[in-house]
Parts: sequence; structure tokens; C-alpha cells
Amino acid sequence: MKEGIQKGKTLVLGMGNEILMDDGIGPRLANRFKSSLPHPGTTYETAWVGGLEILEYIQGFQYVIFIDGIKTKNGMPGDVYYFTPEDYKETLHLSNLHDVSFLTAVELGESLGYQLPESILIIAVEIEEDTVFGTNFTPNLSKRYNEIYQEIYQIIKPVVQHKITLDQLIVKTSLEK
Amino acid sequence: MKQITIDPITRLEGHGKIEIFLKDDGDVENVYFQVPELRGFEKFLEGRCVEEASQIVTKICGVCPGCHHMASGKAADAVYGVEPPPTAKKIRELFYMAHFIHSHIAHFYALAAPDFVVGPTAPAGERNVLGLIAKVGVETGTEVLKQRRIAQEIQALLAGHQTHNVLVIPGGVRKGVTEEQRADIEEKSKGFIEFSEFSLKLFEDVVLGNKEYVDIILNGPYSLKIHSMGLVDENNKVNFYDGKVRVVDTEGKELCKYTENEYREYIAERVEPWSYLKFPYLKKIGWKGFVDGQDSGVYHATPLSRLNAADGMATPLAQKEYEKMYETLGGKPVHATLAMHWARLVELLYCAERSLELVTDPDITGKELRVPLNNKPDEGIGIVEAQRGTLTHHYWTDEKGIITKANIIVGTTNNNAAICMSLKKAAQGLIKKGVEVSDGILNMIEMAFRAYDPCFSCATHRLPGDMPLVINFRDKDGKVIRTVKRD
Repeated sequence: MKEGIQKGKTLVLGMGNEILMDDGIGPRLANRFKSSLPHPGTTYETAWVGGLEILEYIQGFQYVIFIDGIKTKNGMPGDVYYFTPEDYKETLHLSNLHDVSFLTAVELGESLGYQLPESILIIAVEIEEDTVFGTNFTPNLSKRYNEIYQEIYQIIKPVVQHKITLDQLIVKTSLEK
Repeated sequence: MKQITIDPITRLEGHGKIEIFLKDDGDVENVYFQVPELRGFEKFLEGRCVEEASQIVTKICGVCPGCHHMASGKAADAVYGVEPPPTAKKIRELFYMAHFIHSHIAHFYALAAPDFVVGPTAPAGERNVLGLIAKVGVETGTEVLKQRRIAQEIQALLAGHQTHNVLVIPGGVRKGVTEEQRADIEEKSKGFIEFSEFSLKLFEDVVLGNKEYVDIILNGPYSLKIHSMGLVDENNKVNFYDGKVRVVDTEGKELCKYTENEYREYIAERVEPWSYLKFPYLKKIGWKGFVDGQDSGVYHATPLSRLNAADGMATPLAQKEYEKMYETLGGKPVHATLAMHWARLVELLYCAERSLELVTDPDITGKELRVPLNNKPDEGIGIVEAQRGTLTHHYWTDEKGIITKANIIVGTTNNNAAICMSLKKAAQGLIKKGVEVSDGILNMIEMAFRAYDPCFSCATHRLPGDMPLVINFRDKDGKVIRTVKRD
């Protein structure tokens, strides 16, 4: 474990804008997990802007779980994907075209000696609409919201409750893929 | 006719697309910069209380939320016909300086400097902030992130959160500044001044010390002779929070100077069928097309235009740098697009100095934070300078203060026509018959665009797919004959 990081200290960061319809999926889930999966060693936060800003959020945590929206060519709204920085796919908010990409931010943090997490898991939810202002999800995403919540709840529960490490979860998740 | 498509644009906020149309002989025929998504946040404000507008608009965009927060707050003051007390105005401006500082640092070091420090035609994999750190050293990199973070922390301290600000309310601010906070920000402001001076020295050494770069700035395909807009104080010095909007012509002579309430007499917006982003122009000159020169109605609202439009900077160190810039570049006004980076650094120093001025002003810890709202609400306009240009919020409300209509002209929108023209000029200068359109050339075209620091988050955005840049080469029938993916 990296020096200066408290063992098991975990961050769940919901990324997105809650007034852009489906774009709010990350914050909405993070806020719900904050109530349903509380643990003294786990912090729940929400943010919108990635890039350099991400470094300030994630430093000092041993494990970080991002929940963000994603748009892929053939995905169905509500599909859930799991990535690590090694097999990273561009989600909606982790990079910031205004400054740097997610991977560049992490690399920059490492090169500048930031206390970055040992493990990062990116959970991306396929969304349909993020260009229209509104506080509700689209019907397609709304229909699957509880299913998405349950799936991610079961996945992250053992980590946020410090029963297993995030590395163990990542191995398990990749074996199940 | 051949077509080159760059979609999306790298390292810039928002979703935009550059279409370069080539003639059969390989020269550039035309260039279009398109924003293919609809911006609709004005509608979102309708039906909301004007008191909560300044909080809603911070969610328009995570890049310059503080600008919308300020402009919206000023518009709400005007809706109620009130003037905040001096302490409230100074706290607002102190917050705003931190907002500019964090943004200008991020733009210069993450977006602009790699082109100069690493090189405009260096391999894309090196031409980024990591390549920059490799050249200037880890210590500088650490300082960049530290100063940026401190600026964010000041915003969070004063406004509750660095992104979703809750500082401004109609007639004032929600909370004051304690002596302990004041002393802390004073020390941090001194650090900003030191860092700004360091950044200007870096620019001088790396950019001005390189004849090739100076030549690119002054003589390359990056010059555009258009009018300049910026907010000025009562002495015609640059101001970001308050004052009048001044526009000078291509020779530097004042074309107009107006208050918030008069903006519709001076600015009109044109719609083109190929973009959702409007094209503002100077109403009294009229729309003459995408042309530059004294007779054109096109203007820009950028760090460079702000300096062009003003008679100087309101703080001493920034004033010296202002004078040095114009002396080096041949006098006012400057029309070299890439000089925007230099102007941005002069502004950075101004913000640092102004932050120190404000935080050492006895009023800053005053207790009178707001005035009562006794007037009937109706209509109000708020204008501030955003990092990316003059930002206008205009609200109409009913007698209960519910917004019935809103109009917002965002900073980048002011520069829409100028961006299109700068891109065309750069493309025509760099893409020639028989010249291979390399990654370096495409980056040099993007440099024309990047100088404006445009942000289209107000139009929302997404990153489609894995690749930050896809270039399609099409034959005259529009068929893709080659695809290049970058990064």
C-alpha cells in the first residue's frame, strides 16, 4: 500500500450533470449508495468535470470507483460496463477536453508524486440523452434504473464495506465478463 | 471537391466539428466550424425564481460556472433594481479573480503551452501537458497544479463549492469573509502574483526567445483584422466584474461604449443554417459576411480584445506587462490571434494583483452583505467578462420574480464568426497543393482555434468513441479514402 494512504479508504465518485436528463445517472446512483451503503471508510462524492480536477478528488484514497455515463455505438440504455485504466474507454466526464484526458491526468499525477489510488474501477452506464435539459431520465433508462442500481449495488457492496479489496473485485468482475 | 473532417476537436470543451473543403487541386476552398448540438438552457430558466437562477446556471457548464453565477447574479440585482453594498461587490469580485486564475492557469499550461514548449509540429503523443512537464521540470508541474488547486479552494471557501457556487443572491452575497479567511487569501494572492510573473517569464524565454515562434505569431497565417470588445472601468482599464462594454475598431479607435441595458442597441445575432451557434455582430455596422477589415461587423471578445479595447490594466505589474506586450508586437491594437496566449498571462497577473488589492481592502470583512429587495421585479441584464469573452444574462420576470424569458450570450458565441475566419485563414495558409496534410499541420490549424479557448459546454457535449481525434479524407464524391485516428 502506498505511504500515507489509509487502508481501505474508498471513494465512490458519481460523475455527471443532474439537470441534463440521463447525464445525471452517476450522481443519482452515488447519492443513493451514500444512503444505502454507508461505511466509515467510504466516501461518496459527485462531480461533473474530469481532467485535472479529478486529481484533487482521488488523491489520498486507496480505491476509487467512478460511476459515469457513456454512449457507445450499439449499446442499449441501461447497459452497464466495467473498465479499469488499463482497458479504459472514454466515458462522458472523466476526461476534460478543456484541459487533459483522464489517463493523462492520472499519468501526470503519478509523475508529480500525487498519492493516487492503488486501484480504480470505472463503472459506465449506457445513456440515451444528455443534450436536453431536464431532471428526469428518458423512459428507456428510467425503466432499467432499479435494475442498474441493484446490479451495481451487488458489485460494489463488498468493496465499500471493506469485505474484499477493489483488486479482488476487478479480478472477479473481469473473470465474469 | 475533397473534404477533410476533424471530429471531435481535441483538448477543447464541447462538441464541435471543423470541415475543411479542398479544391480539386488541393488548395483550401472553404472552412466551416460547426456546433451541431442545440443549446437550450434559456428555456430551462423559464418558470424558475430569479433568486435561484444564479445557482441553476452554474450547472450549465463545469468549466466556467463562476462566470454564469456572476452574470446571473448581476441580472437578478437589476431585476430588483438594487445595487449590492460595497462589501458584497468586493467579495463577489474576489471570488471571481480566483475563478479566472484557475481557468487561465489550466488553459495556458494544459492547452496552449504544449504547442510552444514542446513544439507545434512535435508528435501528438508528446505535445501535451506531460511533454510540457518533461521540458520544464517536475517542480514547475507541481507548482501549476498547486496554484490551480489553491484558486479552486478559494472559490469553494467563498462560494460553498468550486463548481456549484452559491455565493451570489440578488442584492448581495450569502456570507462574508472572516479575518482568518482574509489573511489566508492574502498569502495565497501573493503566491498567485509570484506564479503569474513566473509564467510570463516562461513565455518570454520559451516563446519570445524563439525567433521561429515569434515569426509564427506575427507573420504566420494567424492574423485577423477585426474589432475588439471588452469590459472597462471608469478609467477605461480592463475590468472583469463591472463597467461598460467598449468596442474599438481595427485601428484602435472607440466605436462604442455601452452599459448593460443598451446591449441590444449595439449587438445583433445572425443565424446560419449549418450551425446551432449564433453569430453576433456589431449592429451599427451590420453583417457584411465572414470578412475582416474596418468595414466588417465581426468582432472578438477574448483576452487580446479586452486588452485592445482598454487603455491599460488597473494594476501596476500587469500594466508593465501590457506595455511590454504592445511594444514587442508593434503597438495597439494587435491582430495576431496567437498573442491571445500572451494577453491571457497579462490578465492572470492582473487577477492576482487585483485579488491582493481586494483582500487587503478593509471593506472585505464588512458585515453589510446585502440590501433588502423592496422593488417590484421585472427585467434585468447582467454583463461580466468570462474567460472566453463578454457574457450577458438578460431576464424578464413576472411580478413575483418568476422568469418568463431569458436570453444569454455566452463568451464563446461572441467569437463564433472570428473562429470560423481564423480557421479558414490558417487552413489556407497551411494546406497547399502537394503538401501532405500531416498531424503537425492539422495541429497548427487547431492552434488558430485553441487560442480563443472556446467552450461549447453551454451546448452540452459528449466524446463519441475512443479517439479524441478522427480525420477522414474524402474524395470529391464524399467517399472516405483515408482515416487517421490520433491519441
